[in-house]
Amino acid sequence: MILAGLPIAHLLGIFAAAASIVVALYVLKLRRRAVAIPFSPLWQRILRDKEATSLFSKLKRLLSLLVQLVLLALLVLALGDPRAAASLMKGRTLVVLVDASASMRATDVAPTRLDAAKVEVKALVRGLGGADRMLVAQMDAMVTPLGPMSGDTAELEREVDAIGPTDTRADLPRALRFATDALRGADEPEIVVVSDGALGPASDSEGGVHLGDVKLSFVPIGKGHRNVALTQFSVRRYPLDKSRYEVMLEVTNTGDAQEDVEVSLLGDGQLVDLTKLRLQPGERLPRFYPNLSGASRTLEANVALAGGLHDDLPADDHAFALLPERRRAKVLVVSDGNLYLQAALLLDEYLEVTTVTPAAYAKAAAEAASHVDVVIFDRVTPAELPRAHALYLDPRGPGAPVKVGDEIERPGFDKIDRKHPVVRFIALDDVNISKAHALKGENGDKVLGTSEPGGAILVAGERGGYKFVALGFDPAESDLPLRTAWPLFLLDTINWFDDEDASYLSSFRTGEVWRVPVAVGATTATLKDPTGDVQPVPIHDGRAVTMGERAGFYELSTPAPSASEPAVTTAFAANLLDQAESTIAPAKELVVDGKTASAVKGFHVGVRRELWIYLLLLVALISAIEWATYHRRVTV
Amino acid sequence: MGWLDALRKASSIRPSPKKGDVDEELFDDEFQRKLDYLAIVSRRVFSGRMRAERRTKKSGSGVEFADHRDYQPGDDIRYLDWNVYQRFDRLLLRLFEEEEDLAIYFIVDASASMGFGGGRKLRYAKRVCAALAYVGLANLDRVSIVSTSDHILERMPQTRGKARIFKVFRFLKEIEANGATDLEDALKAFVAQNKRRGLAVLISDLYDPRGFERGLNVLRYNKFDPFVVHVVDPGDGKPRLHGDVLLYDCETGDEREVTVTAKVLDRYASAHREYLAEVERFCATHQVPYIAADVNVPVDELILRVFRRGGFLR
Repeated sequence: MILAGLPIAHLLGIFAAAASIVVALYVLKLRRRAVAIPFSPLWQRILRDKEATSLFSKLKRLLSLLVQLVLLALLVLALGDPRAAASLMKGRTLVVLVDASASMRATDVAPTRLDAAKVEVKALVRGLGGADRMLVAQMDAMVTPLGPMSGDTAELEREVDAIGPTDTRADLPRALRFATDALRGADEPEIVVVSDGALGPASDSEGGVHLGDVKLSFVPIGKGHRNVALTQFSVRRYPLDKSRYEVMLEVTNTGDAQEDVEVSLLGDGQLVDLTKLRLQPGERLPRFYPNLSGASRTLEANVALAGGLHDDLPADDHAFALLPERRRAKVLVVSDGNLYLQAALLLDEYLEVTTVTPAAYAKAAAEAASHVDVVIFDRVTPAELPRAHALYLDPRGPGAPVKVGDEIERPGFDKIDRKHPVVRFIALDDVNISKAHALKGENGDKVLGTSEPGGAILVAGERGGYKFVALGFDPAESDLPLRTAWPLFLLDTINWFDDEDASYLSSFRTGEVWRVPVAVGATTATLKDPTGDVQPVPIHDGRAVTMGERAGFYELSTPAPSASEPAVTTAFAANLLDQAESTIAPAKELVVDGKTASAVKGFHVGVRRELWIYLLLLVALISAIEWATYHRRVTV
Repeated sequence: MGWLDALRKASSIRPSPKKGDVDEELFDDEFQRKLDYLAIVSRRVFSGRMRAERRTKKSGSGVEFADHRDYQPGDDIRYLDWNVYQRFDRLLLRLFEEEEDLAIYFIVDASASMGFGGGRKLRYAKRVCAALAYVGLANLDRVSIVSTSDHILERMPQTRGKARIFKVFRFLKEIEANGATDLEDALKAFVAQNKRRGLAVLISDLYDPRGFERGLNVLRYNKFDPFVVHVVDPGDGKPRLHGDVLLYDCETGDEREVTVTAKVLDRYASAHREYLAEVERFCATHQVPYIAADVNVPVDELILRVFRRGGFLR
């Protein structure tokens, strides 16, 4: 037995000082409460008999003093941290990575795999040796340490309790890199992975993870693998008929038995479609639902086993999507008359088109332009930029957002920025143009179409917080109005102005970084997740940047631009849609860096090598006994 | 010394009996009517001073026939028994018992112990005294009241007639609990001050450190007819104490450190019961009429039932 805490000389000094105080307190008589009585001789009668036992009372008093001194001795000894000499071996340094990915929500072990994992980790915590230290980290799309490296079992158990499930996939390489960094230079380093094994390979874009001298242990969780999952889900409105939409989804049977499933599609909470399917083991079955209607906002797909049965992982049986909001865009056309333009704009019933002459616009409609979403200047250029998004067809003069250069004879779209939403999926390559003017934008503007030689003939950009697109030629002097590309170009431009392109992302994936467009000028935003929690999110380059861990519907709110306008709220959905996570067959072993993880060893539940804890428990026990006997007047 | 004394003083301050509560609370009309029919019984016959309703050893002008004696010249011939003369030819004079008054002394213990526990015992003693005094006054007896502790505190001179009951009330109203108990000294002074013997009703809790027997013996040896009304508060036998306390006597100030446990309380209750039994036993042995007056028993019930059943009232 050795003392790892205070040295023996200090302990003796502390005991002597404290014991003298205890003895002094015992020597001093307790000040008693004075109580009047009517006739003291009666008390003298009974106390005469009691005095016969005063010797026993003195003995009891002495015993009480001895008990106090024993308690004191135990406490002082605890300060010395006595330990068995054999326990002074080097302690281990452990990083426990607890898989909290979506697959750990499987219910094949009650109540969930994650809860079973917590039980296993708590058993490890209780089995820690006196010199062992442990760090508990949650492993999902990120790796989150839940506390510092500690040997305090109570603290570690609280950290384990704080682990919560997510709808993301586990990033094993990132977690292993974190663990090896945390263990660098530590004694007896060891990583314990507590997981069902649905982790994928231990390598990423940075290459494989090298464990070095770090020991790797694996605690497998789970036993079942019956699961059907939605592994793809996408929805979009038709560009020219926004009341209708189409849905694509994929159902996968990750189990090893044939399954009959029911796939239901709900629009705004109402059943839109119900399909019964039969899936072979491992089969991935895509389904396409064209030309649907009946939902204006939310779409939810559910897959369930036929006959009311349940698979082992309910978390991947649902997928969510929000349809792009149908909003009637107000378009102001400044033109002396252009049938091609008016006809193209008639194609979209959600456009509210108003036409004014250039003269009328110059007089009064300029102010009105601030109340519309889009202004189209047809071969007209205003003196000032409008306070709205604007499409300039053949701009001229100083009011144009770009500089108009020399005339180009017989230009063409020789170079097209096909990634830009305005010209994406539009065939402009063979448009015949009689003449055009080269456009020169400012820094930050994007050239969408270039004629070689000549210069830019289609430019997009932003002025004063409003977007613009400038077309460097008169469409009437080309065959563009006769092509399918013409109405698509106009509608794509208007959609880009209204940010409708972003809503083609019918949902985000959990565990990925999301960049959600926010209202122009917004600097702060808050995100409400499916559980109802609200938290602020940063905005970078006009997009709120965040990462969600739960599948469902989110709401992103930005403050009102002015006091008279309401706050802007953008809703979107997030889904797991990850076949790897849906494959829940538990792994028997874990291989990292060519090494197979071993089973955990050296954890003996209930045995701590620190005796001071037991000394304190003994002190508490003796105090409790003394308290009980005192109040029952046994030791009084 | 200082703080402990202050504490004792504070704890010894008890709410004194509300003045005037005797006449207000005791004598409703109904109870008074019942008291009118009662009379205090004395086992011994004392000579009185004035004609009243009580027989004496004297023969005289009463209505109760007592004896015959030979006629002597000069006797009132109205009392000759002519029937005897006709039968036996002897002149005999009829003698009648003289009816005189009885001296009744009420000795009210006003020591500090009677004021203990909120003064319930002293209030009760006053009510009992007032009721018995009314009975005595209604029977034209001479009623006197003294309050005592270790000496005579106050004295109400002998008085008679129902109308004097208010004087009794006023006297009782002024009595307050104070001082230590010493029945022997107090009753020695009492017998010295009252040469006319009579019925001595001692109303007390009998908490006398020197022994209640000495006091009662003083009355007995001086030819008074003692009667004990033992005022008993059951709460005295069940004190609400627990833990380490310093007990001090409210009369003598004697201190005692005690650790009160349930066992100690049981033993104290037994000792208290034994003390009460001891008092009763002494009175029975020495033929002293004894009534235990439980303060929880209504006074009217005590007077009308307990006292009559005990033969003190008829």
